[in-house]
Amino acid sequence: MSRYFFYNVILVSLLNLMLFVPYLLIQYRYKGAIMSMLCAAIVGTALALLFMHVMKTFPGKGLPEILRLFMPKPLTIPILIVCAVMWLTASSITMYAFSVLINRFFNPDTSSLVVLVFMCLVCMYAATRSTLTVIFVLEVGLIVCVPIIVFLLFKAFNSPMLDWDAIRTVSHYWNRGPQVKPFAASLFVFTGYMNFFMFNRLNSPNFRLRFRWGTPIFCSLILLTSFFIPIGFHGTEGAADYLYIWSVTSDTLIMSYGFIERVIFVFLLMYLMLSLIFAMIGWHMGMEMIKSCLPEKKEAIDPARTPRSNWVIVGLFAVLTVAYAYWFNEKENLKITSHWIVLRACVEIVSVLFVFVLSLFGSGKRKKLVSHENTSHNAASPDGA
Amino acid sequence: MLNRIGTLFAESRDLTLDRLQNDSLIIEVAYISTLCDESKVSDFILVPFTKQEHPFEDLVKRNPSFKRLDDPAKWGDTLLHGFVLLQLNGMVYKLDAARIIRNENPQTMVETVIMGPQISLSEDLIDSINIVRSRYPSEELAVEERTVGTISKTRMLLVYDKHRVDATVLGLIRAKLERISDPFYTATGELVRSLGDRYRLFPSMMVTERPDRVCSAIEDGKVIVLLQGSMFAIILPSTFFDFLHAVDDDYDSFWMTRAMITLRYFAVVLTITLPALYVAIMSYNPELFRVQLTFSIAGSRSAVPYPSFVEVFIMLFMIESLIEASVRLPKYIGSTATTVGGLILGQAAQQAGLVSSIMIIVTSVVAISNFVIPVNNMSTAIRFLKYPLIVPAIFFGISGVTFGVFCYLVYLADLRSFGKPYFRIFGRRQSQSSDVGQVGR
Amino acid sequence: MKILRITLLALTALSFAATAGCGFRDIDKRFFVIAMGIDPADQGAKGYKITLRLAVPSPKVEPGAGNNQVVTMEATSIAEAVRLLKAHVDKEFDFGHCKLFAVGEKLARRDYTDILRWLTRRRDVQSIAYVAIGQPDAASILKVEPKSERYPGNTLFLMFGKDGTQSSYLVPVYLFDFIRRYREHGIDPVLPLIRADKDGYAITRLGVLNKSKLMETLTPGETETYSQIRNQDAKSTVAAVKNGNTMVINVDHIATHFKIANENGEYVLRLWLNVSGIFEEAPLGVYEEDWNQLEALFNQQIASEIKKLFKKMQQAAVDPFGFGLRYRATHPGTEQTWKDWQNLYPDLKFDIKVRVEIEGTGLVK
Repeated sequence: MSRYFFYNVILVSLLNLMLFVPYLLIQYRYKGAIMSMLCAAIVGTALALLFMHVMKTFPGKGLPEILRLFMPKPLTIPILIVCAVMWLTASSITMYAFSVLINRFFNPDTSSLVVLVFMCLVCMYAATRSTLTVIFVLEVGLIVCVPIIVFLLFKAFNSPMLDWDAIRTVSHYWNRGPQVKPFAASLFVFTGYMNFFMFNRLNSPNFRLRFRWGTPIFCSLILLTSFFIPIGFHGTEGAADYLYIWSVTSDTLIMSYGFIERVIFVFLLMYLMLSLIFAMIGWHMGMEMIKSCLPEKKEAIDPARTPRSNWVIVGLFAVLTVAYAYWFNEKENLKITSHWIVLRACVEIVSVLFVFVLSLFGSGKRKKLVSHENTSHNAASPDGA
Repeated sequence: MLNRIGTLFAESRDLTLDRLQNDSLIIEVAYISTLCDESKVSDFILVPFTKQEHPFEDLVKRNPSFKRLDDPAKWGDTLLHGFVLLQLNGMVYKLDAARIIRNENPQTMVETVIMGPQISLSEDLIDSINIVRSRYPSEELAVEERTVGTISKTRMLLVYDKHRVDATVLGLIRAKLERISDPFYTATGELVRSLGDRYRLFPSMMVTERPDRVCSAIEDGKVIVLLQGSMFAIILPSTFFDFLHAVDDDYDSFWMTRAMITLRYFAVVLTITLPALYVAIMSYNPELFRVQLTFSIAGSRSAVPYPSFVEVFIMLFMIESLIEASVRLPKYIGSTATTVGGLILGQAAQQAGLVSSIMIIVTSVVAISNFVIPVNNMSTAIRFLKYPLIVPAIFFGISGVTFGVFCYLVYLADLRSFGKPYFRIFGRRQSQSSDVGQVGR
Repeated sequence: MKILRITLLALTALSFAATAGCGFRDIDKRFFVIAMGIDPADQGAKGYKITLRLAVPSPKVEPGAGNNQVVTMEATSIAEAVRLLKAHVDKEFDFGHCKLFAVGEKLARRDYTDILRWLTRRRDVQSIAYVAIGQPDAASILKVEPKSERYPGNTLFLMFGKDGTQSSYLVPVYLFDFIRRYREHGIDPVLPLIRADKDGYAITRLGVLNKSKLMETLTPGETETYSQIRNQDAKSTVAAVKNGNTMVINVDHIATHFKIANENGEYVLRLWLNVSGIFEEAPLGVYEEDWNQLEALFNQQIASEIKKLFKKMQQAAVDPFGFGLRYRATHPGTEQTWKDWQNLYPDLKFDIKVRVEIEGTGLVK
């Protein structure tokens, strides 16, 4: 079902706010942010299309299975670990950022570390579930949160306080050359498809992705929104002063007729939900990748009992996250994030191109693959459907 | 035969053992008189045997009501299920003469609808099957009989549509039924417990008395379990969304029923989160609401001497005991309890400054929205859910509530009802195009 | 599996225990600050005099039931003053509902920038709080206790908010808007001036500030013009005088737009103001007169008023309308653009085109 693909795309593109993407872009607003965004849109779309081809070539196979087709297991381990670390860091940074936000806006008297520990426990429980569960949670979460977030964005666009002159002023700086950091940051918005590195396991052989043109359009809109709306509300200069720019921006909106007057609380609660889902997916991805390095028999997609290895791996993730939050302060986190986002972009480009090349070779192997699939399917059918 | 049975039921005074003789034959008759309809015994056996209008031997052979029973080990069970044993020429026959005391044609009491069938399933299996078959006249309807309970040996029927039923689900159910080994089953609820994980927070099987619900479930390819002596059927597998779907939703005006379904989901969210939100907003984030609302809440709480969560627990204790009391009390005094508790106590507690008036509203909203859920076992399950959520609210405020809700969400999505996802949106239709996760099976 | 589950639960319980008690404070153990006044310290001392208006919630909700408590403290910094004030009250302050920050006029005329250091950093200060200048000082504004208040501070909330009165002389300014204008190149902050008026407030004037202090105060008429141009405020009137008779049109629809054009090397600001509405006050017989002439009269008088206002702003070297930002928005994005604007603003010419359309004369001729 293609809707699960779009859920991932939507989630990741909305989640850019938590990974300081708008912050990084706004820092470069006079120095090439717009060009970088344009380049990222082109590159991101191209990568997504390449990866869709990969998905079509290897239906029902996750990254580990694809790699296993072409190379011996020891070779796949480093690749998988690098990918797992990428997903782990994405989730951990999100969670750290949100624990700080909770400390700022909701519980000023509770230490952000305690909140983070609690968040980690919640996510540990969530991430150890089966892949199928994870994707159901994603679906429900998005169906609940996205309409409200879209409503808030709509409100923001309609607000008389939005200063279009400031937006126009910044857009006049479009002719500066693209830079690495804002490019990498905006590329993040387009990377939702990468969750299908693992979720592709769920896709059946006759999976067809429809409305794929929707991906770049939606992501570009989100990218433009998350860059320009804060500028419209805080001015060309003021926008660069804020660390958690979108939280402050959502505070500029008022729901005059609601129970809750300040939009910021609705906004933060919705994003808390999305961040938890994002962290859950990230950890789950990382966990599955590391698990596929272990010498174990092939896992069922939806096992009845949670394997113990899940708990161990995710527990390790949680400890790493808390340790990270313990050792690094907010400033260092921001700095690390801005470097990480560049590294992540590199890994994304390299890995997608790599898998794409494999899929080109794979078309020869495909026949073999299909026949193999059939035999295994027949073997499985007596106890199955 | 008689000796053998006599020793088997050594201390049963209601066991009737007779040796009869007419001109040509000697027969032995054994039955438990309390379980059997004596007129049936005399109509089928005693009268023809003594009148001798036809040779009794032929009669027994021709009448399909008499069935051969060769295994002496089954004699005891057969007698206990209300059969008459008849020995004729060294051969043993059984005759169903069970007399079952039950309520006649009961009306639906638990799950009422305005327009729709008013009659409920019967406590007798035969009548229930009659009701189901007459509503689902299809040759595909399969009825499997089993017994459950090592002592109770309660008769149980599995009913399903051969074509539509999911073979994996059916296999799982059969396997589970083989495994259960509790001694006694008197109500469907017990069977539900031993079939599922008893610690789970949400029911995975629907218990219903409504024949229309049963029939539409069969049509959906689900399996129905009927238990002798209980007028409730079990429908499995069930999803979360089935539980919030009342049968009226298919009978009444389309738009209003859609609105009611939406309302039910809101009600579920409210009844689960409201007490926790009250604690969180009172004690952590009073800036959440608009100014005017905050001040009126703060004003109403200003007389309350203890923290918000104590207040919540007091009121929830009161409302839960009120609900419990009105279930336990006879129908005629039930309403008195509600009046005393709801109106007088609530008003007085608020005036005495023990609870804030907002808390009274919260409690009533929680209780009322809980009653909106159409299926009773889901309603009770959800009644519990608000308590665990108060704990993170006490420690983390509004963000704690969100964490808790997220956990519930994951928990729900993680549940499987006999291998079927329990909480999958848009999962109802059986799509031809493949869905996620179907490769795994 | 079971052991793991139990350990996990135990861990959760432990983390609860670790946090137990901190941050838990009931709503009735908090003092809600509804307005904050910031004045310079008395007798020329360094620092600030902070006045807080605290809400005392009462269980009764009826007119006059809103109780307030006003506390004042002087200290060298705002944060210190707030901390000192805590020692004078029995409950914890909560700024989460602080809707008004009143800056004393003296402070505004001297230098207001320092207060932003506190306002921007505090997490519980709402971005959508209102900022205003208190005349003659902020403390006297906070001490006013309107008789009809149902909730403490409700008068202020209703006056500034959209659901109460909508006066065209009152231009509510949100904190974030104030900060934005303070930081932005090309637009300058404005703040409404509040006067205490027996048992209430009078808010009719607008103060125009530059990046550090109050420069100019607008008259009520000018304030209305400002809000017509900047906010396209349809709840306003336009007036003209003919033969000594004042004629007032109630605005139904208003639209303005402006652009900065280069004409023969000279920069001209062109402003179009389209107004339509019906007479609210006029001598009998306007129905028979030539409406075109009347409209022309309105056009000319309004245009001259606007021009006067623009000139006043130009002379004070402030730009509350955001002409500079519009210039930046329509010219290439370079550093030079902003510098150019700073040079050309003092010599900017104004070309104002007003088009009033009379839709009717009300109920009588």
